[in-house]
Amino acid sequence: MSTQIQATARDIDGPLLELTDVTTHFKTPRGLVRAVDGVSFVLDRGKSLGIVGESGSGKTILSRSIMGLLPPRGTVRGGSIKFEGREIGNLGRKQMRGVWGKEMAMIFQDPMTSLNPVMKIGKQIAEPLQIHLGMTRQNAWATAERLLQDVRIPEARRRLDQYPHEMSGGMRQRVMIAIALACGPTALFADEPTTALDVTVQAQILDLLGEQRRDRNMSLILVTHDLGVVAGHTDEIAVMYGGKLVEKASTRGLFANMKMPYTEALLLSIPKLEDRSHTRLSAIAGRPPDLVNPPTGCRFAPRCPYAADKCRNEEPPLIATAEDPGHLYACWYPVGSAAYHEAKVRIANNKAGLATAASAAGGN
Amino acid sequence: MTTTISPATAAAPEPALPEAGTPTPSKRRRFKRPPIGYAFAVVFLVTLTLMAFLADYLPFIPYPDAKILGPDGRPGRYEWGPSWTAWFGTDGVSGDVFSKTIYGARTSLQVGVFATVFGIVVGGALGVIAGYFRGWVDRVVMIITDCLLALPALLLAIILVNRLDDYRNDTEWLGWLSRKWQIVLTLGILATAPLARIVRAQTLSLREREFVLAARSIGAKPGRVMFREILPNLIPVILTVAFTGLSILIAAEGALAFLGLGVEVGTPTWGKLIDENRNKIDEAWWATMFPCLMLFLTVLSFNLIGDRLSRRFDIRQAGV
Amino acid sequence: MRYFLQKLSQFAIVFFIVTFVVMILMRLGLNAPGDPARTLLGGTADQGLIDATTQKYRLDSNYFTQYFFWLKGMVTGDMGFSVPNSLPVSELIRGRVMTTLLLGSYAIVLGLIIAVPFAVRQAYKRDSAFDKVGSGLSFAFVSAPAIVLAPILTLILIKENTITLWWPLNDYQVTIGGWFPRIGEKVYPWQDLGAHFKNFFVPTLVLTLPIAAIFSRLLRGDMVMTLQADFVTLASAKGVSPRRVLWVHALRNSLFSLLTSVGLQIGGIVGGAIVAETFFDLDGMGTMLVTAILSKDLFTVQSAAAILVACVVVVNLTVDLLYAVLDPRIRHIRALA
Repeated sequence: MSTQIQATARDIDGPLLELTDVTTHFKTPRGLVRAVDGVSFVLDRGKSLGIVGESGSGKTILSRSIMGLLPPRGTVRGGSIKFEGREIGNLGRKQMRGVWGKEMAMIFQDPMTSLNPVMKIGKQIAEPLQIHLGMTRQNAWATAERLLQDVRIPEARRRLDQYPHEMSGGMRQRVMIAIALACGPTALFADEPTTALDVTVQAQILDLLGEQRRDRNMSLILVTHDLGVVAGHTDEIAVMYGGKLVEKASTRGLFANMKMPYTEALLLSIPKLEDRSHTRLSAIAGRPPDLVNPPTGCRFAPRCPYAADKCRNEEPPLIATAEDPGHLYACWYPVGSAAYHEAKVRIANNKAGLATAASAAGGN
Repeated sequence: MTTTISPATAAAPEPALPEAGTPTPSKRRRFKRPPIGYAFAVVFLVTLTLMAFLADYLPFIPYPDAKILGPDGRPGRYEWGPSWTAWFGTDGVSGDVFSKTIYGARTSLQVGVFATVFGIVVGGALGVIAGYFRGWVDRVVMIITDCLLALPALLLAIILVNRLDDYRNDTEWLGWLSRKWQIVLTLGILATAPLARIVRAQTLSLREREFVLAARSIGAKPGRVMFREILPNLIPVILTVAFTGLSILIAAEGALAFLGLGVEVGTPTWGKLIDENRNKIDEAWWATMFPCLMLFLTVLSFNLIGDRLSRRFDIRQAGV
Repeated sequence: MRYFLQKLSQFAIVFFIVTFVVMILMRLGLNAPGDPARTLLGGTADQGLIDATTQKYRLDSNYFTQYFFWLKGMVTGDMGFSVPNSLPVSELIRGRVMTTLLLGSYAIVLGLIIAVPFAVRQAYKRDSAFDKVGSGLSFAFVSAPAIVLAPILTLILIKENTITLWWPLNDYQVTIGGWFPRIGEKVYPWQDLGAHFKNFFVPTLVLTLPIAAIFSRLLRGDMVMTLQADFVTLASAKGVSPRRVLWVHALRNSLFSLLTSVGLQIGGIVGGAIVAETFFDLDGMGTMLVTAILSKDLFTVQSAAAILVACVVVVNLTVDLLYAVLDPRIRHIRALA
């Protein structure tokens, strides 16, 4: 089953993942849902990428599309996905099965429901080892024990015989990581790995992921809605909105010099410790776009504070900044440009105008 | 370039743009399977009921004890299969199978409905009381239902009907109890246990809901709470189980009649017809098959309705 | 362990109550002294015999005493005497229990063998033609209990039907049916396998099809729900083959409704067996019980009913224990209780 992939030569030196105009559409009674609508990027081996966006932005579907974990019926896929130089975008589930677990692995959001409640932990870890690497049961369990130690679970041997419900949430997530790492994959997809966990455990898990990535020279793709999660743990960040990639930059570059108003809004919406008490949360007004009938023009326009007519009529292309060719964004009036400042002033004026009008009306 | 930003767009999506919303299909637009089965069931049952209860007045249904005469004027025993004279053919005593089947429907439906009502009233009451009061009341009710469920249903039914026969003959005050009502009582008792269980389970969960707590906190007496708060919420479940249970009870009535424990001699009923004619299945298959078919269709129809209701009310039970 | 004892005592209480009630029911209306014995022996028996029988079986004492003595007898293997048949009850039962036991076991085992792969495939290929047709068939068979299925199957399989077709050739005659005998002979597998098969096939089918349908519907429902769970996706994402995901991961989590149902269906099977045995003239416990009840054969009814109730109780207890075997979480909860 994996022979199909091994036949074409593996490109060890080139980029690990190359996405070109990848689309994933679902046929539903309401129409064609354009969950992922033309995403392209390149990921190098050993690097970590964060994919950030709201729910409905397509980030989870994107990661599943890359892996190929999509429902068999009603899915329309387009574009090219190259993994180590080999095209995998057009492969079915059957052919991808050889890749799953072995070269690409995924960990899910909720560790309680992601582990089989009636199967021992040891068996769940040993399973991919036995299937992909053909290990004997003894070897597999010994390896499983070592993996549990790698993910910093104490008393690994005892844990092998336990069931998921006997462990805490953080431990279960570690077990999931152990399962994912078992066969030494080249790429690990982490789909909201910390959302279901306590804040303190979150940090531990992210550190663990980072550590494993460095030790194994593995690429990590972290999908999350939380900018704070990606801030300290990724090399690059890709921001998604409405099924499209709207900004991509190195982490440092992004935070230092963000271009998309959406990214700016995301950052602003994070409550900060330094804010005075009772500071209003600046949430992004409105709701994510309808993926069956996405708005013409820029998809963020309906909610963008700086939107102009051009934004609503023409979709901005993904272009690189002048300073850094690796920093891509799609906006007509990016943060920091002249037009942006104009708009900001205008809005302030409007707000002030409103305020005076309101106070005038209130006064009378 | 002149761009106007009105305060509206700064705060909310512009009305002219397509509706902003997450792409989850709304409940109303969800695919509906054409309800053929359900429609058929309803039509069939309504027709059957009407025919059964108005049979005396319908000209095309002869009386069950009428003898169908052949072309030469003699009564035709098992003569014909389905034909214009006798739609379902004739049986051993030259009776019209069709009319006997329709009259049989009357019996089966009556018995089934009354028994179900009995089961709902008694079983429901037990269930609500057990679920509401819990504690030892619950334990007692659970033991009762356990006992009822431990003995195989048909066996219990046979014992009850038969013994009630004798008991009735001996005791004065039960003289009015005709066979029909014995069967109703028996089947009703059979229906009580599963209904009590289901109602109890529902009551247990409903009991913890806010509106019940609210009623209790203003001092409503238990009876009032049970009647006005819990009961109305039990109706979907009861309705669903009622239809499915009806189908089972009608089948049970058929089985009892088949074994000879059916309604009084003289009133035809499906089970009895099947039993009387099963040895003649070679020569006169129609005498057995049509009652059998009617029984099947009736059971099927009630099941279809019950299934549809359960899907509508979103109920799952593990095979009662 | 404590849990097991608790459950056992619960079931024991039920057993005693039920058998006691059966005893009372059978004696309903026979209050005049000597009545039970008279009924037992038949109306024409002479007074001396009646008195002797009353003495022997203590038919004139109160219910509790009678029950106690009957129970004592059961334990020692003496199930009383069946007067209409002039046989000790134990011998009567021994001659017939095998038939019913075989029928019932076949029904459940075959029902599972048919239902499980069918339902698994249905859940896997959800909403496919296979699934929809399968669901329709299951629904039909659920609505076709023994009383309905027996005549239909007799028509198709036992009666010889010669049908004249227009195709492939004009007046082409096809004979369907006549493959199985009308009257069931009580042949056991170890006596003559072929004859046994022939005699038992149709009655077994009558019982099996509805049971298989019920099982299949329940299992399909649970499987469909399980297959949507995250851990199933994760198992696939680990590279596990769909077959293994279905049968090793998903199935084990979906058996609960099915298991519950097995316990509940025993009563239904006995009822179906009664009908099937009567219809196909197989001498099993079913027909014996019906005759016994109608002829007021007190002890037969009591003892046979007790055996049946014991079976039901044992099966339910096993089902309850199997829950723990299947799901470690339940094991946990019970160990703590």
